[in-house]
Amino acid sequence: MEKLVDVIDVCKIYNPGENEVRALDHVSLSINTGEFVAIIGQSGSGKSTLMNMLGCLDTPTSGTYMLHGMDVSHMTDNEQSDVRNREIGFIFQGFNLIQSLTAQENVELPLIYRGVSRKERERLAVEALIRVGLGKRMDHKPTEMSGGQQQRVAIARAIAQAPPILLADEPTGNLDSGSSKEIIGIIKNLYKEGRTVILITHDPGIARQAKRIVTISDGKIQSDIINPDADV
Amino acid sequence: MEYIRNAFASIIENKGRSFLTMLGIIIGISSVITILAIGNGMKQSVGGELNDMQAGGITIQINAKKTDKYLTGAQVRMIGDEVPEVYGASPTISGYGDAVARYKIPANFKGGNEYLFHDQKNVLSDGRYFNENEAESAAAVAVLSQSEAVLLFGSTDAVGKSFEAIIGGRSRELTVTGVLKSEERDITSAYRYNSGRDKSYQSIRPYVPYTLMTQGFGLAGENVVSYQIFPLPNEQDPASLRARRVTENMMGLRGQGAVNVQSFASMLDSFEKILDVVTLVVAFIAAISLIVGGIGVMNIMTVSVTERTREIGIRKALGARTGSILLQFLLESAMITLIGGLIGMMAGYGLTFIVSKFMSFPPQIRLEDVALVVAISSSIGLFFGIYPAFRAAKMNPIEALRYE
Repeated sequence: MEKLVDVIDVCKIYNPGENEVRALDHVSLSINTGEFVAIIGQSGSGKSTLMNMLGCLDTPTSGTYMLHGMDVSHMTDNEQSDVRNREIGFIFQGFNLIQSLTAQENVELPLIYRGVSRKERERLAVEALIRVGLGKRMDHKPTEMSGGQQQRVAIARAIAQAPPILLADEPTGNLDSGSSKEIIGIIKNLYKEGRTVILITHDPGIARQAKRIVTISDGKIQSDIINPDADV
Repeated sequence: MEYIRNAFASIIENKGRSFLTMLGIIIGISSVITILAIGNGMKQSVGGELNDMQAGGITIQINAKKTDKYLTGAQVRMIGDEVPEVYGASPTISGYGDAVARYKIPANFKGGNEYLFHDQKNVLSDGRYFNENEAESAAAVAVLSQSEAVLLFGSTDAVGKSFEAIIGGRSRELTVTGVLKSEERDITSAYRYNSGRDKSYQSIRPYVPYTLMTQGFGLAGENVVSYQIFPLPNEQDPASLRARRVTENMMGLRGQGAVNVQSFASMLDSFEKILDVVTLVVAFIAAISLIVGGIGVMNIMTVSVTERTREIGIRKALGARTGSILLQFLLESAMITLIGGLIGMMAGYGLTFIVSKFMSFPPQIRLEDVALVVAISSSIGLFFGIYPAFRAAKMNPIEALRYE
């Protein structure tokens, strides 16, 4: 198995000095292609910082982060943007769709930044929306959709360009239980198709769906276990 | 392309606010357009009128403040002979008084020699001009226009008829030798006079020999302080230069600036200069309003960037580079001002159209002005969009995503 994510002895320190906050304290973690990993921790545990790091939204204070064989720990903003665009599909808790755009336009957004031609963009977006079961709502704006539907648009946006990693940050946090099941179902299916999924959550019930569970607290990794109960 | 569509969508999304933002630009551009159009129209129409007049003579004046020397009628004739670019020169001695035939009518008698009739506007309809002999011998003759003939005698058939001319208490009986064609405008005003309405400001301007003015009415002694030259076609400038030099030499006034040329060309020049100054002042005011409008755009764009912090965070998370965000917001503000500029242009032309209804000249709409508006308004947007666009582009994606 190829090592897709390799975090080596990473620290993230806010307010260096006397009142420094060690959000990540010598964290090492590697994830192979095709894994389904849940990162679980309470709020303040450092899981959001880890997620930002993994998503190339932030750089470590010290240590190295190798993503897909590239050292991404010391990149400029624009280089990080390009890596995010190419390597990572984000699924956020708050959906993070642009309200003024239709479902299809939202899904096309990362493809625009990648420079995909209009026709190809349209094809990929339609394909992805059909995949998440929204083939009939492509022209709807986020305000005209339920939370579950909005999250499905966000998933379509994350998979449209087939990035190596799906990074889901509390994807069911804003959803009722019915919609949550649907969304987790879709994510599981994506995993079964061979995608690498990293799921960040505080909910053990959600984490239990994953093949591997990494527990983080106080900026340190407490446990890293293979989940025998995973039903995938 | 995608960015332009996006910018447009976002403007439509916030119609009301976008329009209010545009208002400053709309007012600025519409006033620029109105002023340019009215200014150009005025230049054209007044310039045209002055050009018509220029077909007539150029007046050369001796400045009484700088010298007490004068010319005689014979000297003026000599000047006309010495300047090759002119048909000839005529003294101009005017006298105000009355003409009496059917009615007593105020009259401004214009005294000159036979070269007066080289004025291209003077075309005989009947009879003849007075000749050199009559011009120099104080003959009691006059040349009128048709409308003046109607005023005096009740018909244009005036050749051979006589009327009484009174200047400064002296009275002479003048015989009409020729009648000039009138412009339509003159005839209608003559009619008005005839039917008894609107008598107040109507006066006539008969041409008479200058010697009649000096000898017959005792005006100005023998002295001529101004004369007219009648240049050959397209020789106005060299003619007036040479006439002035010859006059200065003849009077021994070289280098004293005592001889002035008053051509219609120079009047046109000074008119255009005045108009240019007015245009400049208004343009300056308009520029200020455009700058204020631009600051308004900057303001609203800054607010909009703050409001859309989350959107910016999303776009950055999805891989938008700093440049893409910058471009997106710059295009948006440029498009706001461009649309504002185009609306302003239409409003300006509408305003011009209304104004031109109350004035006697047509507004001038020029393609350069349209291009200018497009260039100015979009560059205002670009310039004042720089600050908010930079703010947007420099946002930290993590904080932007967390923004509620």
